Amino acid sequence: MKNQWTVFLFGKVTVKVTGKGIERLLNVLIRNEIHIWNVKRHGTDTITFKIKLSDALKIRHFVRKSGCRISFLGKSGAPFLLMRLLKNSGFLIGAVFFVVIVFLLSNVIWGIEVKGAKPATEYQIRQELDKMGVKIGKFQFFVDNAEGIQRRLTDNVGELTWVGVELKGTTYHLQVVEKNEPKQPVKLTPRNLIAKKKAVIVRMDIDDGQKVVDVNDYVERGQLLVSGQIGQEGKEPELVAAKGDVWGETWYKGHVELPIKSTFFVYNGKEKRKYSLLLGSFEIPVWGFGKHEFKDYKMEKNIHKLHFLKWKLPISYVDKTIREQEKFIRTYTDQEAEEKAIELAKNDIKKKVDEDAIFKDEKILHKVIKNGKVILDIHFKIIENIAIGQPITKEIHE
Amino acid sequence: MAKSWVGRVRSWMAKNMDLPQDVMMDLPRITMIGQIHIYIENHRGLLAFTDKELRLLLKQGQLLIKGKSFVIKTILPEEILLEGKIDQVIYINENPGGSK
Repeated sequence: MKNQWTVFLFGKVTVKVTGKGIERLLNVLIRNEIHIWNVKRHGTDTITFKIKLSDALKIRHFVRKSGCRISFLGKSGAPFLLMRLLKNSGFLIGAVFFVVIVFLLSNVIWGIEVKGAKPATEYQIRQELDKMGVKIGKFQFFVDNAEGIQRRLTDNVGELTWVGVELKGTTYHLQVVEKNEPKQPVKLTPRNLIAKKKAVIVRMDIDDGQKVVDVNDYVERGQLLVSGQIGQEGKEPELVAAKGDVWGETWYKGHVELPIKSTFFVYNGKEKRKYSLLLGSFEIPVWGFGKHEFKDYKMEKNIHKLHFLKWKLPISYVDKTIREQEKFIRTYTDQEAEEKAIELAKNDIKKKVDEDAIFKDEKILHKVIKNGKVILDIHFKIIENIAIGQPITKEIHE
Repeated sequence: MAKSWVGRVRSWMAKNMDLPQDVMMDLPRITMIGQIHIYIENHRGLLAFTDKELRLLLKQGQLLIKGKSFVIKTILPEEILLEGKIDQVIYINENPGGSK
């Protein structure tokens, strides 16, 4: 028997033959190497049998001679299936189209939620996101992944201390912590203002309270500057919350060590981009073939997970940027090194003092160049607000 | 007669050289599986086919198969596989008493 598989593949036809001398016709057919199977008799002058599709046209010729009449009944097999599939291809196209659309829509950003930000900051964040291309209706795999967005937001929006970016389904959730939390109007209790460090007072802007010291006075740490007890002498003093700024000249010492020679890497602008699909751990390159010819390079890799409805697919879209970098040796002259060192020291001290502090003067106390390093001890004069509140407790008063 | 001489040689060869008779003498080889299948090799053509009867031409005489609900599963120039319920297999010799 012939292999049924090939018969299915090339298609088969059921033939009905009516007339006299059907047996003679069958003999003729089989002698002409036409493969016949499933021969059945229906009544006295009718027979049905199956033949291959490729033989269907050939048998007409033999049948005409024999004087029988034939008709083709059923058609089955791959060619007919294929024909039907083509005829109903609309359904197939529709189904594929549907899956593609659902897939695409699952990878679109459908929402950006910002939590914990003031309206102004939120507006700024949204603008920054717009610049990055993170907008409602954009494809997730064309924008940075969550970590990248997080990094860029923290870098570019000054008001943020921290921002957590999380992609939940099709929505980006941004949890924001601002540097300046919206100030709650604090109800001040009666208090004095005292010095937080030793200083020479330069200026006093007092809103409320009784001055105890004056400009050009030297004050120690903890010394009373502005009293919260006001009122004329001899009368019961009234307690208020002393309010105001007391600007004093304070002193800081800075110590810096700065290597004169330093090496670092800089990008020289040459880069190569590669895009690929990641199936599990198997990577299929999509665009950007060939090897890069960079000696020193840094690779940045962004992996975007693809989604289907709410599920994460085991497929990810990866884009890699390979940037060439060059070694760069920077050598300072003594003068430059000194300037740099002072700047470093200033930055160090800026972290310690309030933002509105002013640098008045700096003096180098000690300078050594040793082992390729500049070692500096610097003395800074800074004008800053030295007043801090100290509540007046009832016990003291009574 | 030349034909019978050839036939005698063939018969002798088959007997003495241990060769299968069907190959040597153009005899039909019939294989039956219970009542349901019958497989005939070396036939010479189909003479009649209904669902109760199959008549085959052989080199010598005819073969008549009787039964019920016959279906020819495969038919090739020298082979035929018949399916159905087979009741009788009859050889009809080519003599004046035959049907043809």
